[in-house]
Amino acid sequence: MTSLEITLFVLALTGCTLATVGYLLSLLVKKIVLAKASTWILAAGFVFLTLNLLLAAVHSSGWENFGSRHFLSIYAWAIAGIYLGLQFKTKTRLLGTFIAPLILLFLIAAAGQGSDKNLVPIQWQGWLTTVHLVLAIAGEALFVLASAAGAMFMIQNNLLKNKKPGKMGRLLPSLSDLDRINHLGLLWGFPLLTLGMIGGTIYAAFVWGGLWPADPKVIWSFAVWIVYGFLLHQRLAIGWKGARMAVLSCVAFLLFLLSALFIRFCVATVHNFI
Amino acid sequence: MIVLVGLNHRTAPLAVRERLFAGCQEEVNLLGDLRAIDGVREVLHLYTCNRVELVASVDKAPVIMDALKSFLARYGGLTDNEAASCLYGYRDEEAIKHLFRVTSSLDSLVVGEAQILGQVKDAYRQALALNATGIALNRLMHRAFRTAKRVRTETGIAANPVSVSFAAVELAKKIFGTLSGKKTLIIGAGEMAELTCTHLIGNGAEEITVANRSLAQAELLAEKYSGKAVGLDDLDEALCDVDIVISSTGAPSYIVTEDMVRHCLRKRKNRLLFLVDIAVPRDIDPAADDIENVYLYNIDNLQDIVDENIKNRRRESIKAEGIVQEEVAQYASWLKELEAVPTIVSLRSRVEGIVRMEMAKAENWMSQLESEDREKVDALVNGIVNKILHAPMAVMKEESAEFHSQDIVAAARQLFRLDD
Repeated sequence: MTSLEITLFVLALTGCTLATVGYLLSLLVKKIVLAKASTWILAAGFVFLTLNLLLAAVHSSGWENFGSRHFLSIYAWAIAGIYLGLQFKTKTRLLGTFIAPLILLFLIAAAGQGSDKNLVPIQWQGWLTTVHLVLAIAGEALFVLASAAGAMFMIQNNLLKNKKPGKMGRLLPSLSDLDRINHLGLLWGFPLLTLGMIGGTIYAAFVWGGLWPADPKVIWSFAVWIVYGFLLHQRLAIGWKGARMAVLSCVAFLLFLLSALFIRFCVATVHNFI
Repeated sequence: MIVLVGLNHRTAPLAVRERLFAGCQEEVNLLGDLRAIDGVREVLHLYTCNRVELVASVDKAPVIMDALKSFLARYGGLTDNEAASCLYGYRDEEAIKHLFRVTSSLDSLVVGEAQILGQVKDAYRQALALNATGIALNRLMHRAFRTAKRVRTETGIAANPVSVSFAAVELAKKIFGTLSGKKTLIIGAGEMAELTCTHLIGNGAEEITVANRSLAQAELLAEKYSGKAVGLDDLDEALCDVDIVISSTGAPSYIVTEDMVRHCLRKRKNRLLFLVDIAVPRDIDPAADDIENVYLYNIDNLQDIVDENIKNRRRESIKAEGIVQEEVAQYASWLKELEAVPTIVSLRSRVEGIVRMEMAKAENWMSQLESEDREKVDALVNGIVNKILHAPMAVMKEESAEFHSQDIVAAARQLFRLDD
């Protein structure tokens, strides 16, 4: 890892820390200006992180050799990128209060990892693995965003239903905007995750020869995939919207989180990278 | 000296304000008459439905304040009793503070309302066009506008709506984000419903549908908003199509039932629905509020929000008073400097500074002089300086004795760059 890479990573981490503090402060003092500024700071952090990842790809052995640091960085990068991208479409600056701390967590975890530590054992490295990982990460990042929007929708919905919007209600984004982000998150997240899983399946089928379903992570992921597929189906085909979708997205996310933690700490799986 | 004389909604009953307002409006040459009063240097007058005020820069404050008061009393046809109880007069910092508070909408009936700033600006523009203002009032008014702007941006005094119709619009924005492309249904025809509708359209809402018991009346109102009219029988269908419903009929029972809402929500694929019920007795079954994605606000809910906002404005106005105080202090200290004596003092010290500096520069060759010659040079320089300064200082002193010094003092401050 070159010193330039380290500098860029530190800058990204600093930007994200500042943005997180800014977002939380904005919620605390109830001033939207702070959240707006934080969005720009986060955008700057995102640019630094992008440069850091590009340099890493050029310098080290490229995209096929994922370090665990890069793996976690890409998680943070994907969530930040998607969140910032959506800010062009909707004015939901305050959503960053939920998103920025998450990005920061990923970056801190990434900072704790040795950059030379290989994520994927040498014998498994290949472009298909990379595609599988990147698509799965992007899909999961979109689900994270959908769920965060759902959580914020529940808060705003509560305030409006209780007829006491107050300062908080004024600060939080509108219901429609939050619902739209939830919609977009599911709509794009599901196909990406699907493609990612197909990539992994093909790889496993060729390289390991049909061993794949025995891995607990795969079974769990499949369950998560079905839950999100169900949500998307209800949204598109049945026309569920608003409050119900918000609650369900949050439940699905908790399920996803618990499964990830459970697999990480309790079960032996080939997907234990970190 | 700045003085302010006038009356407002707190000191004078409506009947008196009306008379004075009418008197001011009729009079073509009000400003001219005001300037004709001996001792009034600069003047402007502000009249709105809630206040009539004269602001002037004058020479002999107590005398002229009385003159201005009787001037107003004459125009409004006020009796002596009325004049004594309604008219107030402030001078110096009190007057400046009152003007700044008025301009910042701290003295308004609805604290934080935005109109007053425009009205003060108009009053100033009028006076400016007739050349009735000068250095003191020009600066005063610019400071007043600056104060109003600071109060607006630095405090939350005008942040939240304090009327029921605006509160409804704000809620709609919190539900739908943007109102552009949103469809509105008005049931019945009340003034409040129309007002709310106008605000909604002002914020981008489109496509108005009007439902009424009498189709003819619905058509009449629909025409106004170039929308469409439906009878109450078609309400079911209309509900499926719109996003915002404002209901204000005189009907004794519920016009929109829970079943109707539940049914239409299925048809509209659960799109969010905002119901505003400003009728008493209520038009919309309160049970409709329990339905997911439906947000029902009745008149009390809206009034509660408005009350809360009014309370917030009061809290913010404390902050605003601080800003006013700061600005008053700044202006007052500037005004004091327009007096002759401090200007003469600073002119002297300015010139003496220049002499000292130039002498120091010449120190090199002057040190070669005999001490006797040196004293002669010093005397020569001081003599020239004193001769040159004598005339301007004498004029300033004379003018200030006559209470006309301000313009000439301001000119001197500018010519000699005393404010740099």
